[in-house]
Amino acid sequence: MKYILLFACCAVATLAQAQRFATRDARISFLSETPVEDIRAESTEASAILDLATGQVAFQVPILSFHFPKALMEEHFNENYMESERFPKATFRGTLNGLDPALSGIQNVTATGVLEMHGVAVEREVSGTMEQTGSGWVLDAQFDVPCEDHDIDIPKVVTENIAEVIAVTLHAELKAK
Amino acid sequence: MKRWYLGVLALSCCVFIPAVNAQDDLMDFFDEGDAPSVVTSAFKAGRIINVQSPETSGKGEMNFIIAHRFGRISDGWYALFGLDNAQMRMGLDYGVTDQLQVGVARSSFGKTLEANVKWRFVEQQKGGGSPVSLTGYSVLMRDGMRFPTDGIVRKDVHRISYVHQLVVSRKCSPELSLALVPSLVHRNLVDNAAMANDVGTIGAGFRYKLNNRLSVNGEYHYLLPRPVEDDFVNSLSLGLDIETGGHVFQLHVTNSRGMFERAFLAETTSRWQDGDLYFGFNINRVFQIGDRR
Repeated sequence: MKYILLFACCAVATLAQAQRFATRDARISFLSETPVEDIRAESTEASAILDLATGQVAFQVPILSFHFPKALMEEHFNENYMESERFPKATFRGTLNGLDPALSGIQNVTATGVLEMHGVAVEREVSGTMEQTGSGWVLDAQFDVPCEDHDIDIPKVVTENIAEVIAVTLHAELKAK
Repeated sequence: MKRWYLGVLALSCCVFIPAVNAQDDLMDFFDEGDAPSVVTSAFKAGRIINVQSPETSGKGEMNFIIAHRFGRISDGWYALFGLDNAQMRMGLDYGVTDQLQVGVARSSFGKTLEANVKWRFVEQQKGGGSPVSLTGYSVLMRDGMRFPTDGIVRKDVHRISYVHQLVVSRKCSPELSLALVPSLVHRNLVDNAAMANDVGTIGAGFRYKLNNRLSVNGEYHYLLPRPVEDDFVNSLSLGLDIETGGHVFQLHVTNSRGMFERAFLAETTSRWQDGDLYFGFNINRVFQIGDRR
């Protein structure tokens, strides 16, 4: 009996240990598409963490880590739209649904939680895919962010250049932590 | 034996409990990863008004600056408060890197040509690192006026003057940025015995953002004591920056009419107290011509 208990304790401890997966170099890019111009930016400094035991997942990206092809775009993004000094980070924290940790191959999952950027928190459900790899999980997702939802004000003079809804792409390779 | 088994249980719980707590401290993982970040955009344009700000053109960016200083406001209706005539400066600044910029310019004031280089060699950082940014600026100016026919022999090298300065800047809050700018002016040849070849100034400037598109700017330059008496006075300028997307408009009132460093730092003659002020503007237009990556 005591050996079974001992084994159970050890097994639980080991399992719990291997249930957190994280990365500090996830890639988040976005695209603002209008007939006048397409604006793309990318950050490779996003962090992501997943706890399989609880199904909790969280992402964070420093706004200043988004880089644009033109320096002026980056300045406007940080100074005028995202106000990155006041709101230096965008975060998402939520719960994963539909993930079976026992399966291999690509799985469709959804995450429900709160997306916070520009100081405004919005309840979101985001769908994506996850795939188990030898060392962890690969997570991909695409979702749209309406600027208006986060009080990001696009002045009239640039409404032709900046889309009202921004398409965001996420790629994270999570490793056991 | 019982005790031994309890000990293992306790040990496994110690290992297990932090993992259970993970749901509360997922966000701790992010805090651990926080690194110092560079503070950007202390000022809107490359100049606060006349003097250099710490900002440079981004890599591959060409900045075209067209600036005017009109005539004396105190000329009144006769000259439409100075708008009837203007001094002009046209400049091009190019970003070699995000920190290093080279530029050329032409001013109608003294028919002056200039070549300059600006390097922000220390960035202000948040969460560690330097509390200020440090920017060096050097400009070579060539006066293009015809030599006077007074019998004195002058050479081309006598047309040249230099200014070297250091811009110490800090963005104190998203709204307020300050700069301290010590400068050294050297003139190869001066007009008369009442002028020193070398003049030092200490300047200070600020920007206060009223909103994302509008800010109030000001700058003051104090002339350090010179070995000879001259008629030059300190330069004081106040203005507004208006951002419209691709352009930055800077509108201001100043007692300095020249728009290159030697002129406004060391050779300002008009006085605020006499109402001898000039209205003026700088228009900054950015073109991305090179690749940023």
